[in-house]
Amino acid sequence: MRVAFVGKGGAGKSSLAGTFARVLASTGQRVVALDSDPMPGMAFSLGIPQTDAGLPDEAVEEYDEDGRRRYRLREGLTGTGAIERYAVRGPDGVHFLQLGKARGPRWNNTAQHYGFQRILDDLPGPGWSVVGDLPGGTRQPFFTWGRYARAFLVVVEPTPASLLTARRLAKLAATESAPRVVAVANKVCDPQDGGRIAARTGLTLLGSVPFDPALRESDRLGRAVLDHDPDGPTATAVRSLVTALRREMEPT
Amino acid sequence: MKIAVVGKGGSGKTTTSGVVARTLARSGRSTLALDCDSNPNLGISLGIGEEATERLVAVRDAVDAGEEEHASSADDLVERFGVTAPDGVRLAVVTAIQNPQPGCPCCGISPERLLGELARPDRVVVADFEAGLGTVMRLDGNPVDVVMVVVEPTPKSLEVGRRAAESVRESGLGRVVVVANRVRDDEDAARVRAAFPGLEPVLVPDDPAIMDAERQDVAPLDAAPDAPGVRALVDLADSLLKAG
Repeated sequence: MRVAFVGKGGAGKSSLAGTFARVLASTGQRVVALDSDPMPGMAFSLGIPQTDAGLPDEAVEEYDEDGRRRYRLREGLTGTGAIERYAVRGPDGVHFLQLGKARGPRWNNTAQHYGFQRILDDLPGPGWSVVGDLPGGTRQPFFTWGRYARAFLVVVEPTPASLLTARRLAKLAATESAPRVVAVANKVCDPQDGGRIAARTGLTLLGSVPFDPALRESDRLGRAVLDHDPDGPTATAVRSLVTALRREMEPT
Repeated sequence: MKIAVVGKGGSGKTTTSGVVARTLARSGRSTLALDCDSNPNLGISLGIGEEATERLVAVRDAVDAGEEEHASSADDLVERFGVTAPDGVRLAVVTAIQNPQPGCPCCGISPERLLGELARPDRVVVADFEAGLGTVMRLDGNPVDVVMVVVEPTPKSLEVGRRAAESVRESGLGRVVVVANRVRDDEDAARVRAAFPGLEPVLVPDDPAIMDAERQDVAPLDAAPDAPGVRALVDLADSLLKAG
């Protein structure tokens, strides 16, 4: 399974993506969790203490092409090799890799940027699942950073701003030969929120995750919700999402 | 006075910008709210509603698609891509577009530079930027009066805010005002203060009235002007005015 989470900032992408990756890994899948947001996020929801699991400088080399500076993975290093070597091992055996963090106004992470993209083109194949956490909003061309994904999960809160974002993402997705794009309703208070979100975004609803005070609490503590409340509403709902997406992605 | 609003996604930048801009306008200042987010939602927090917000964005998209004329100057931009929101706040959507024309005053420069070029001393500009640190990097060379760093009391959000505040101070981009939203208790307050030693963050109490208002597509200032969270943001705007 190769999936990527998108949506408005604060909609809960990282929380759901991190939990999703671990749930998948706990069923025996080999899972790579990819955080292509240069802000700290997914590590917390995976329960990984390092918030900086980027590629080291040595993984990327600079070369010259027609007088322009380009970057590639060091000679002999494949995408799969980079993941084996540099990904952080997290709970449930998840492999976690992250785009290098931006540190300050003049700090440059161009090399890491390109190195990370080269890895996206050469992810491990059969037997592996990939779960990506993409940057919030609609600027990031999500087909670039999420080009490995066979399904995009648009995380939507029942707020006008989040719905507006989801509609924009749905529109962007419709313009390309898109993979499957589905909505996940998050922080749902009213049982009708899911249906409303589907109607107002035009997306198929994969599932709903209820508003969960335990998730807020785990965010404040900097812990994975799966460790904080392993059988709570969020964990239960994400398990259903995994099942639903498996069914959805099965060849018919 | 120019105020840039930055921070992690979902920390409450747009809500904060909306209440602050309207409060400044209520005090009699000519106020321009710039929506610099490529996913612009400031209209909702200002109270013009979801539909009007979507229409404004559509105009900007039409320029991108080559179906609409570009604006000829910064003032024309505020006119063409703008609308007057409650309390007389002028709202304009100035996000970067996919296909900018180099040198064009409405799209050939970044919103950060545009903010730098707007020059009307009598006007207050509140610029709501996109999540993350990209804005802080692009502000380099375009200092403002105040950079509001908006955070929540979670380690993720505080980490982003800490990096933003550090960069703003190192590069001398403006006075840093840290605004912590959704502060629930003393523990949260302590967590925020510890992340920003010496900065005296503005603490905004966690207030369900704000979430309720936004879910119903009503500006918090209209739905619950006396709720503690809204009051704290109003006080913040007043203190910005006093500081000049």
